[in-house]
Amino acid sequence: MTGHSFNPFEMAQAQFDKVADLLELDNSTRELLRNPLREYQFLIPVRMDDGQVKVFRGFRVQHNDSRGPSKGGIRFHPHETIDTVRALAMWMTWKCAVVDIPLGGGKGGVICDPHSLSDREQEQICRGWVRQLARNVGPINDVPAPDVMTNAQHMLWMLDEYEHIHGGKYPGFITGKPVGMGGSLGRTEATGYGVIYTLREALKIMGLDPKKTTCAVQGFGNVAQYAIQLYKQLGGTVVCVSSWDQQDQTSYTFKKTSGIDLDELRKITDRFGGIDKGKARGLGYEVLPGEAWIEQEVDILIPAALENQVTGESVKKINKNVKIVAEGANGPTTIEADRVLEERKIYVIPDFLANAGGVTCSYFEQVQSNMNYFWDKDDVLQRLDFKMTSAYKAVHEMHVKRNIYMRDAAYAIAIDRVARACRDRGWV
Amino acid sequence: MQMLKQTDRHLFLSLTRKMLNHLCWSGIAEAERLYQSFDIEQQSEKEELTDEWNVPNQRRSLVFSADFSNTVFAIAIKHLSDEEILRLIQKWFQEEKLSFLDQVINRNLSLAVVGDVIRRYHHLTLDEPGTPSPSKVGVQVSLIRRFLSDQLPYINVAKDYIEVSDFYHLLQNIIYSAESHGKLGGKSAGLYLAAQILKKKGRKSEILGHVKVPKTWHITSDVLLVFTHYNDFSEVVEQKYKEINQVRLEYPHIVQTFKSALFPADIIKGLSVALDDFGEHPLIVRSSSLLEDRIGAAFSGKYKSLFLANQGSKQKRLDALKDAIAEVYASVFGPDPIEYRRERGLLDFSEEMGIMIQEVVGNRIGKYFLPSYAGVAFSSNEFRWSPRIRREDGLIRLVPGLGTRAVDRLSDDYPVLVAPGQPGLRVNVSPDETVRYSPKKTDVLNLESNSFETIEFADLLKEAGYEFPGIKEVVSIYKDNHIQRPIGMNIDFDNENLVATFEGLISRTPFIKQMHMILKTLEETLGEPVDIEFASDGRDFYLLQCRPQSHSDRSAPAPIPKDLPDAQVIFSANRYISNGHVPEITHIVYVDPLKYNELTDRRSLEEVGQVIGKLNKMLPKRRFILMGPGRWGSRGDIKLGVNVTYSDINNTAVLIEIARKKGNYVPDLSFGTHFFQDLVETQIRYLPLYPDDEGIVFNEEFLTHSPNLLPEMLPDYAYLTEVIKLIDVPKVTNGHILQILMNADLDKAVGLLRQPSLVTERIRSEQRYKTYEGVTENHWRWRQQMAEFIAAQLDGKRFGVEGFYLFGSTKNGSAGPYSDIDILIHFRGTPEKLTSLKHWLEGWSLSLDELNYFRTGFRRRGILDVHIVTDEDIKNKTEYASKIGAITDPAMALPLMNKE
Repeated sequence: MTGHSFNPFEMAQAQFDKVADLLELDNSTRELLRNPLREYQFLIPVRMDDGQVKVFRGFRVQHNDSRGPSKGGIRFHPHETIDTVRALAMWMTWKCAVVDIPLGGGKGGVICDPHSLSDREQEQICRGWVRQLARNVGPINDVPAPDVMTNAQHMLWMLDEYEHIHGGKYPGFITGKPVGMGGSLGRTEATGYGVIYTLREALKIMGLDPKKTTCAVQGFGNVAQYAIQLYKQLGGTVVCVSSWDQQDQTSYTFKKTSGIDLDELRKITDRFGGIDKGKARGLGYEVLPGEAWIEQEVDILIPAALENQVTGESVKKINKNVKIVAEGANGPTTIEADRVLEERKIYVIPDFLANAGGVTCSYFEQVQSNMNYFWDKDDVLQRLDFKMTSAYKAVHEMHVKRNIYMRDAAYAIAIDRVARACRDRGWV
Repeated sequence: MQMLKQTDRHLFLSLTRKMLNHLCWSGIAEAERLYQSFDIEQQSEKEELTDEWNVPNQRRSLVFSADFSNTVFAIAIKHLSDEEILRLIQKWFQEEKLSFLDQVINRNLSLAVVGDVIRRYHHLTLDEPGTPSPSKVGVQVSLIRRFLSDQLPYINVAKDYIEVSDFYHLLQNIIYSAESHGKLGGKSAGLYLAAQILKKKGRKSEILGHVKVPKTWHITSDVLLVFTHYNDFSEVVEQKYKEINQVRLEYPHIVQTFKSALFPADIIKGLSVALDDFGEHPLIVRSSSLLEDRIGAAFSGKYKSLFLANQGSKQKRLDALKDAIAEVYASVFGPDPIEYRRERGLLDFSEEMGIMIQEVVGNRIGKYFLPSYAGVAFSSNEFRWSPRIRREDGLIRLVPGLGTRAVDRLSDDYPVLVAPGQPGLRVNVSPDETVRYSPKKTDVLNLESNSFETIEFADLLKEAGYEFPGIKEVVSIYKDNHIQRPIGMNIDFDNENLVATFEGLISRTPFIKQMHMILKTLEETLGEPVDIEFASDGRDFYLLQCRPQSHSDRSAPAPIPKDLPDAQVIFSANRYISNGHVPEITHIVYVDPLKYNELTDRRSLEEVGQVIGKLNKMLPKRRFILMGPGRWGSRGDIKLGVNVTYSDINNTAVLIEIARKKGNYVPDLSFGTHFFQDLVETQIRYLPLYPDDEGIVFNEEFLTHSPNLLPEMLPDYAYLTEVIKLIDVPKVTNGHILQILMNADLDKAVGLLRQPSLVTERIRSEQRYKTYEGVTENHWRWRQQMAEFIAAQLDGKRFGVEGFYLFGSTKNGSAGPYSDIDILIHFRGTPEKLTSLKHWLEGWSLSLDELNYFRTGFRRRGILDVHIVTDEDIKNKTEYASKIGAITDPAMALPLMNKE
């Protein structure tokens, strides 16, 4: 460690080292995978609305493309650093590998604060970014996507500039586009459904009939709602959901032992998954404190809200009946809680795997864009099911064979796949 | 001239005199000689001519003969053309009439007489705008004083923009009684002047020329008195001198009495004419108080404004209108305005109040009536979310439907904010934020039920989106995490997810340019920042109100004392300062930027955010501040700012971001953008600090080395002691408290240590009045007295009570009118005893609530918030039990009648 301060890249490397030890990787492979293959740092001069020129700093890191074109978002952030971008690029490599899609990991960004930029200025930054990298990115090299403070609009500006420079139509250059402009159907459902595809497989392996299971869900946003929808289609009963109350600035758990009714709750929910507690009471829901979801007597817990929700404290409240935790959110479980879950032999489907539906659907968007033919929604979801199921099976197999915790197994699979690709290409 | 000589000799001689003067000034020798000869003639009659300095010049009586007149005009014919003479005579002729008008207006005759004279004057002569003559200005000033305002700054501007003929037109729409001497009131006067300014300036600028004002009728201010005399309500005038709870008690009665009262016949006639003019168009009846004219008294929302659907038969509509006017009149005698006036020393001012009856701008959409959009705009921006926004860039708060939702701070719904000088810089950047902070509800008039309603904007669009004029300027389509401006008219109201963003209005129409120009023009002309209310029916832009930009008491620029001793100053700042005054801070939560930066693992960084969230719930609300590095609530990189959400900081008084220099670069701050709109709506202050700037005081010693309460408050997080400092200010400074003064005009702010008593006194004297809803002594004092009384009445043996404690806002002296009384009871008895204790306390709770209602008008079904703790709770220090003997902000024990 160089400084006395938190460095995300060093953290990502330490995590990698741990798994590399487990896989007994050789030194040259470690050396290669610990660092990005390529990094671009460049300047983007932009004429501002008031006529002055301001110079912005841009980045692109391609961590590893042994398995296919790099893939990863572009962040607009006033305090972007190369180390953050490196860490996130590495994370993308593993994320694509765990679901076995033929893509590598990348990440990029621009140091800027969109709160202080007009739309026109942001457009100039996007176009400037592409101009600087036009020869180093593209459908067969490196595919950007939206990330912190960028969205579909930025992607369309970038795509337009790229196609302008290359004199052709390349919708596969970028993902996160709106449907009809090269975007894929099924994007909205993808993450929530993905969670349940893996959960379904886990239940199968454990010999549990989904129809006889019960579940508690934290959150009622996009991911949670689609997860609940599919889980109910499998015949399961959702006993409670928790949701954030904007007015009270706290969350509540809404419980109905006979099972919540998704459609009925959706009708009394705002765009952000906030359930109207007065109306819910009227519909016969019990309104409990926000943390109550975790202590329910159910078979399955699905944290699908924020990070750090299953902590060293709250993990103690998990009912003895709980058999599975399927992580719909990013990083919902802390390290301390992980240890307890492992001890109690509660089966964890790690976030990394469970919520990979999103990145898989991005991959589908790129595939469809490249052939300029777009599937219908069922087609997308079917393929998603297939990808998620096989990814899950591989991770579970590793977990059983090597007797390692599911989270470690997911990492191990991912890193192993990338290491093999590098070896097969003769890089190491 | 011959005719005039015979019919109006006075006028004839006056014209002669003016002609002679004119010829002399024109340098015609013949005329000068004539003048002198006349002079000598006059002098010769006198004994001698004194030339003494200190003796006044002899007055020369210019009385001359008919022959003399003939000579004067003969000279004129010789030297001037016929047209010239005719022009001059016409001009003097008019001046003569004006002086007559002036005399009438200044003779304090009734409005009926003045109106008659103006009408005659208007029909007699065409009042050409042309060059202003002194006599014309004189008449204008008299009329302004008579109808609009006697405030000098107002008159000074108005005389350049309001012509005599304007009064003729204004008069057509004024309702007054036969003997009326009243004015139109502040709101009417402000709007009228602003509209005139824009009209006059609009002749040269197309963009201003398009501003309209809704059709308006006025009732003069003294009609209220006529109304009360007519109905023999003279005793209501004494209302204001009664005790406030008496006022509150009697108010509903007054409203009913007023509503069943009769209007004088001439007023009913006036209203009837007005209604014929309005037809079945929805109306708003607004108060226009003379007090609104006074500087420093912004009576916004203190008096009633009532919407009328105005549908149905004439008689029905007239009855509804009379009802509304009576209710607005009654609001003068309501408890809130009286309390407000009492606090500002305006109680003895006459209650006269004008009424404005105005067409509501808008269209029928489904069964509702509403404008396409409306809002308020300020020429000076006090809420900057980017360093690129300057104060003069202004601020617009924009909502769909009636503007009531833009005027008020709602805290659960948000208007769209735009700075007209920098329309490209938006508060919300990601689609998610844009949607979250968009207006969700809209205020409308329901034409079927004749009522004012708040409905979901989305429901309105589903029901009648196709009828909404200019809808594509108002909404954007939200789909796949992408927000798009609709193109053309093909919006699918049934299936698309529509969000009110005003993107089309802002980026595709001249609206922003027009608004910026209006604000700039009005500010420049009126000589001070203004705030305006506006609305649009989707076609035209209407101005609804204009007044000086007022500051609520806590957001006025705070005077910053000079030469403060360094020891007293905790920090100072001189960049991007907004106005404000935070008087009584007892706790500082300081996240040390350097130590935060040294944290090496993500978990600790996240836990700093968790500690802030916990402290936010433990510390007294709005009496503590949060200070920390970089960008609070930053998503993405946690290192750059403490990882919190709005709910982790929502009780702070001020959010302070500190930018420490790193090498030779100073990081950007967030300006609170991650929860900017929440901060605005809940009036949490934001302050950026740049400690490494030259001339800045930053008492790091105090912040890092004062005794830190964190390990005692949250022992689990003791390992973060180096990073998070919790300072109990009075405890470490001998009872001083922290006061933060912010002044945007000087771009300066300071955090000072002061004696609490000094502070309170200073606030009183500096602000002239205390805040209405904030900390007032009464609210906590009587609450505490009652708590003491209840404790003394409580038979501990009977109810199994061991201890009785007071905490929260009553104990801390920060209780507001809506606060409860937090009681902690140490209980040690049987379940039966507990039940009877609860019953006993419930009785008290309801009685106290009633008492509070009489004082404040707030009712909350029980005011005691009782928390029962047992021995075990105290042993385990569970949440409330931990208040007993706590390290900071402990509960206060009150003596019981006896103990268990």
